Amino acid sequence: MFVLNHVWAQEKFTVNGYIKDATNGEALIGATVYVKSLNAGTVTNVYGFYSITLPAGNYTFDFTYVGYAKQVKPIDLTKNIRFDVNMEPEGEELQEIVISADKEETLVQSIEMSVNKLDIKTISKIPAFLGEVDVIRSLQQLPGVSTVGEGASGFNVRGGNVGQNLVLLDEATVYNSSHLLGFFSVFNPDAVKDTKLYKGAVPPQFGGRLASLLDVRMKDGNNQKYETNGGIGTIFSRLSFEGPIVKDKGSFIIAGRRSYADILARPFVQLLQDGGALNFYDLTAKANYNLNDKNKIYLSAYLGRDVFFFDKNQGFSWGNNTATLRYNKIFNDRLFANFSMIYSNYDYKLQFGEDERDFFRWNSAISNFTFKPSFSYFLNSNNEISFGAEVNYYDFEPANASGASNGDVIDISLPKKFNLETAIYIGNDQKVNDVFSLQYGLRYSRFDGFGRGTQYTLGEAPEPGKRKEILEERQFGRGQRMSTYDNFEPRFSIKAQVTPSSSIKASYNRMVQYLHLISNTVASNPLDVWTPTSNNIKPELGDQFTLGYFRTLGEKEDFEFSVEGYYRKTQNQIDYIDGADILINDFLEADLLSGEGRAYGLEFYLQKKTGRFTGWAAYTVGKTELKIDDINKGNWYPTRFDQRHNLKLTGFYEINKRWSASASFTFNTGTPTTFPTSRYIVQGVLVPHNNNESRNNVRLENYHRLDISFRLEGRKTKADGTPRKNTDYWVFGIYNLYGRRNQFSVNFSQKEGRYQPGQYIPSQANQLAIIGAPIPSISYNFNF
Amino acid sequence: MKNIVIKSLFAFAILTSLFACEDTVDVKLENAEPLLVVDAFITNRSEPQVIKLMRTQPYFATELPPTLSGATVTVTDSEGRVYTFTETTPGNYTWTPAANETFGEVGLQYTLEIETNGETYEALADMSRVPEIDSLTFFFDPGDQFTSDFVLAEFWSTDPDESGDAYWIKTYKNGQLLNKPVDINLAYDAGFSRGSNFNGVPFIVPIRRAINSFDEDPNDDTKVLPPLVLGDSLYVEINSLSEDAFDFLTELKIQTDRPGGFGELFATPLANVSTNIKNTNPNGTKAVGFFNVAAVSGFGRKYKSTTEVKDFPK
Repeated sequence: MFVLNHVWAQEKFTVNGYIKDATNGEALIGATVYVKSLNAGTVTNVYGFYSITLPAGNYTFDFTYVGYAKQVKPIDLTKNIRFDVNMEPEGEELQEIVISADKEETLVQSIEMSVNKLDIKTISKIPAFLGEVDVIRSLQQLPGVSTVGEGASGFNVRGGNVGQNLVLLDEATVYNSSHLLGFFSVFNPDAVKDTKLYKGAVPPQFGGRLASLLDVRMKDGNNQKYETNGGIGTIFSRLSFEGPIVKDKGSFIIAGRRSYADILARPFVQLLQDGGALNFYDLTAKANYNLNDKNKIYLSAYLGRDVFFFDKNQGFSWGNNTATLRYNKIFNDRLFANFSMIYSNYDYKLQFGEDERDFFRWNSAISNFTFKPSFSYFLNSNNEISFGAEVNYYDFEPANASGASNGDVIDISLPKKFNLETAIYIGNDQKVNDVFSLQYGLRYSRFDGFGRGTQYTLGEAPEPGKRKEILEERQFGRGQRMSTYDNFEPRFSIKAQVTPSSSIKASYNRMVQYLHLISNTVASNPLDVWTPTSNNIKPELGDQFTLGYFRTLGEKEDFEFSVEGYYRKTQNQIDYIDGADILINDFLEADLLSGEGRAYGLEFYLQKKTGRFTGWAAYTVGKTELKIDDINKGNWYPTRFDQRHNLKLTGFYEINKRWSASASFTFNTGTPTTFPTSRYIVQGVLVPHNNNESRNNVRLENYHRLDISFRLEGRKTKADGTPRKNTDYWVFGIYNLYGRRNQFSVNFSQKEGRYQPGQYIPSQANQLAIIGAPIPSISYNFNF
Repeated sequence: MKNIVIKSLFAFAILTSLFACEDTVDVKLENAEPLLVVDAFITNRSEPQVIKLMRTQPYFATELPPTLSGATVTVTDSEGRVYTFTETTPGNYTWTPAANETFGEVGLQYTLEIETNGETYEALADMSRVPEIDSLTFFFDPGDQFTSDFVLAEFWSTDPDESGDAYWIKTYKNGQLLNKPVDINLAYDAGFSRGSNFNGVPFIVPIRRAINSFDEDPNDDTKVLPPLVLGDSLYVEINSLSEDAFDFLTELKIQTDRPGGFGELFATPLANVSTNIKNTNPNGTKAVGFFNVAAVSGFGRKYKSTTEVKDFPK
């Protein structure tokens, strides 16, 4: 049979290799390889690798990547060929702003949907808070991505909560993506190469969160020459250094940032001289080395921390640490593999008390160790099979805490929790014909809880919405299995290329989430607790359906338009009883409620990609609701992230060779919140009460804001006309240009003052606006 | 370069002054039917015990809450003794002890029953033990850039062994109960909450010192008045609470003592405070408020001289 096949089959050969930037050796992610005569093509993976298998013959290969000169290479395919490509960047002035990295394969042609890519060049042009380029704040300009307001950590995707986003930095999980309560993200833009946000249609190699996956890839570092980048801004300064370890073979980058408001303020604020601190810093580093043509290793690491201390002994701090070791291996012409070993940790610390007789110290941490082998098998030009596995070991430390009262020291720690999350997956990207393409796969995931630990059996709550009773406690020994869940996660996408400039796509996927972010504050904050699935907390399940229409307009594909609808049904969503105690509570699970959720909406997106004026408009109309037995009388209620209308406009204009301007405008419907209907007085205290027992029954005022910024490129030549070696630019910006006081929250309280028994107590409502005025900024950035 | 630093500094100054802002606002609220309000915190203090019955009013009401007259109010203990509370002034139902009599006995359970307009409400409360207060001391707290120097007070009492006690520590300054939401000082055993494991030890520092209440200076809203001046007298009283009452007051404090400003970032969203007052007809009008029977212990001291103050600067 084999022989017969072999005889009948036309002989096929493979071309593969890496595509890189010729000037600095950075691998280009998503560069296109295209053979026009066969209408066959592929794109490079996250390591810049491609492989395409074609019948023997003489072909012309086009290699394209936006912002780079197209390369056309004739290849006579009579044997397997390794063909690495070095692409030359086009001149700075010609560069256009694009969201999708690949010019030839636009979103219209790609099978991917519900995906947004932002390259760092685009991110750096969006007007930023205090003039600082920021990955996550830029993402918030995209359709389907929102935030509950300034001061909230993280971001929300299609109405999901912050903990339902999987944020990866070089594959390592980042548990809290924010510095300074969400004003900045932990990603140093100097070290970021590429970001990709999956809001749906997540390929099977990823899993673990319901709402989205943010895949941030770090730069490899210049392998041609040494380079320094930096910036001095209002809040912090950045400095990065990169260069070859061995030219063409390996390179490194190391990038750091630190805020310095506290250093500048120290002479004036005694608090800071007494050991108080108010700062954040991070350090991002990466190195890579080509062992030979077929083997490459990468090592990346991140370390970051926010510190708020009132004095030497009192305050809090939090931070992420990650490390990723990767090994790329090309087994043969068609089989590419990557093996990753990952460590990630997030912790926070709180401490109060002035001396050793009376204090309170608490730290909490989550860490994981991951091994992730993944394989791509380039079967032929129509099928790319991916398969692999993932093993995650988690170590939760909910509270390592102690306190002392008048010299009596008491340990109030909670026991650790240990879990193992494993998964295997297989998927295929298949081009059926010139019209239809498919992407399908299956992921099997499993989550085990292990001892040493205590398992609680919960009874019914004495009445609806109350704390559940603990019926039984069971002790487990070290390594003993406490609970197990497993799930199949099917993923499927289809694209129909209706015309060369338009396509229709649809997808279904199931996502499963085994870690839960427990957050019962108005907005997500650094002290939120991650807790694992257990006998009492079921894994969150999400099924999402999407349908979209994609089209390019204009002769030179000047415009890209898309409209996407999504419907996501979720199970085992978590909410809280009134009065839930979520910090240092051994019986936390008894305070949690569980129910179902649904989110649906339409996202419109129009981007202008060429010319002096570029930009995009994104509009989302959507709804996100929960239904939990004991809340809102068991009726559906909107989540805190529900925004009916969400409009973002982002524009860039090149005024001349040195000056460019950008502006962005955001509008969204006010987020839902609970207001009281009534008041009563008990023990001389005025208590607000919602007699209708409705949850999220009203909305805050609509949110809108306009930001602008101007960028001034430094002179390219010296006074005598010779070109400068260094480049630099200034960014001037104003955030919240018309100074709107957008409501972050409204709180209800009795008016300040002392009231005699029987005296009338006036009530009041106060709104908090985190930013109440236009915020100007200036930053200076350089490269040499 | 230097120029940039100066500019940055300038921007930072603008930033800190203009950053967040809090404004009082008018908001539109939903309408709702009123509920019964029961304020029934009775104690074994030898004085008349009052249970107040009212109705809820719209949140922005500008008058005193409507009282509820004509109800029948009784408290029965687990040994069958019945205490009848009679209406003395509108909405105030009073039980007056005879000479040398006090209300209740530690260890017994009490049932409150209210009959009004054809509806019956019930609530249960266990009367729990209370530790004695050993002493009240004064200490000197040197101020920093933001606060002045203050003389503060601290009470000393030790929670008994065996976990499960809950207390409300009330402070009377010059005979006046300090009853701002921020003054609500609660303890579970000797710590803040269940499971904190502070048990059988002196109350922890933040509880011992929460008897000091700060008021804004009426002449300068950036300053606070000293909590204690020479001649002030303080009386600290520990009230024992049932476990449910501890939860009720914890929730009440969370909902009424709003941090305001940036603190709202970490604040719990508005939620209804629980109640132990139940309508015997589950479909009848609901009630809010609470019933607790407390054993109390107290200790008073007058601040007469700076020589009483620990670490007072010479």
